[in-house]
Amino acid sequence: MKLSKIGLSLFTGAALLAASAQPAFAGEQKTKPILGIPKSALDDFGGAAGVHAWVESLFYYIMLDNRISHIFREFGNVERQIALNTQLEQMVLGGAVEYQGASMSAAHADLGITMTQFNAVVEAAYNACERNNVPYKTCNHLIAALAPFTRVIVTR
Amino acid sequence: MNGSQGSKLRLWSCAAILGAAAAMHSGLASAGYNDGKVFLTGGVFTVDGAGGGGAVPWATITGYETRDGINGGVGYTYANLPALQLNVFGGAIGFYDRFELSYATHKLSLNLSNLDTVALVAEAAGLDLGTDPWNSTLQMDVYGAKLRLFGDAVYTSDSWIPQVAIGGLYKENTTKELIRTLGANKAKDWEAYVAATKVFFPLSTLVNFTVRYTSANEIGLTGFGECSASGCTNDKEFRFEASVAHLLSKNTAIGFEYQQHGGNLDGKSVTVAGLPLTGLTDLLGGVLGGVEDALTQEKESDWMDVFFAYAPNKNLSFVIAYLMLGNISVAQDQNGFYMSMHATF
Ligand code: HEM
Repeated sequence: MKLSKIGLSLFTGAALLAASAQPAFAGEQKTKPILGIPKSALDDFGGAAGVHAWVESLFYYIMLDNRISHIFREFGNVERQIALNTQLEQMVLGGAVEYQGASMSAAHADLGITMTQFNAVVEAAYNACERNNVPYKTCNHLIAALAPFTRVIVTR
Repeated sequence: MNGSQGSKLRLWSCAAILGAAAAMHSGLASAGYNDGKVFLTGGVFTVDGAGGGGAVPWATITGYETRDGINGGVGYTYANLPALQLNVFGGAIGFYDRFELSYATHKLSLNLSNLDTVALVAEAAGLDLGTDPWNSTLQMDVYGAKLRLFGDAVYTSDSWIPQVAIGGLYKENTTKELIRTLGANKAKDWEAYVAATKVFFPLSTLVNFTVRYTSANEIGLTGFGECSASGCTNDKEFRFEASVAHLLSKNTAIGFEYQQHGGNLDGKSVTVAGLPLTGLTDLLGGVLGGVEDALTQEKESDWMDVFFAYAPNKNLSFVIAYLMLGNISVAQDQNGFYMSMHATF
């Protein structure tokens, strides 16, 4: 009986530990836009290569924007973020890709990101679509798929 | 007449809005100034002054501010219809993407030959109808406030819950005599509305529904309520409005609007100094045939329009629309063009 109690507390302790460590390892789930994401969305984006090119353009525009570039210079790791965003964006567009980074809440929790800064990234996203000749409508499927992350990314 | 008082008030509000806009622009209020909203998501300049489409106020808060600051702008709208021209000037300020204050002043010039005839006769008879033999002008000031209650029109793509706001408008028509002549009860009144707005990204489309509690005739340009031989009424009712804007690109939209109107003045004859027109028609009988018919107001039509909106940058937007306003007072088939500019700071 005593043993089983110890076992139980050990078990709950381990579970708690796992839970507290979760944000760093749990990765991120696909979002669920109410109107869905069309099956062709990833192809329309140019597949994996298209998404990668888009993310590179995204960071090009982010780093040109004085309102936000300093945040990425100070706290970011652009190379890592390009790689991870390429995974994440493919995943939310319905690609069979595993996202290996931190959850959106864990990655942004300490940054104190404002709505204004978030919108600046969205503007960079549209600029990247235009630069890469991704049609506006296709671009909006990605925006719809990423939009729900606003809740956890914007903390101020 | 209280015209001078009215125009002073108008001047002050214009000055206040321009002053506030200039202050924001010059960075005087740099702590609060913000222009971080995404393109066109603050709406444009409605004829009521509030942020929204052309005629329909939306749940979005005017200007390009986010919840982090203050923004606003000034707007000018011109509508050219067969029997009337409408000029609207105004401005609106949005606070923290939460609260909005707005002002608009209307000048509506009527060129209705039938009304002009009445005015000629009335002038000869020494009656003040508020009309002018050659051109009658209706004037109205609109003061508005809007409060965002809940929801996010833009980013909650995984929920059906729209952004919802409530708003109030106080409309003061300064051409009382003409309002009476047209058979309306009140020249000043308030309206209240609830608006729900949502952007559907996968469709690149913004949808807005508004319910307005009002007794306005032609949005208040021809007063509120009605008077007849049996007395005056001013019964407010709920009326439905909608806007649908489809974005062709991030700064260009096309769409349509619908605004339900009431029927307070339907079938009413233009009245002269509180008297129905019958006496005057006798007077005119020999001159013109069927004057009374010509001076009977048509059934007020609901308003509709199709529009094209373009924002070259965050400081400027243009809207061109084709208005289908149907019957207005004694005039039929009032369809025509609408042009609006909204400068944001
Ligand atoms: C929907 C919008 C956004 C998405 C999808 C996104 C995605 C990501 C991803 C995948 C990472 C990498 C996480 C990891 O290293 O494991 C990351 C990190 C980061 N993001 Fe975002 N992000 C978004 C918005 C923003 C905004 C608005 C800002 C700031 C203005 C921002 C700033 C950063 C920074 C500084 C990091 C690095 C954090 C660190 O390494 O500690 N992000 N983001």
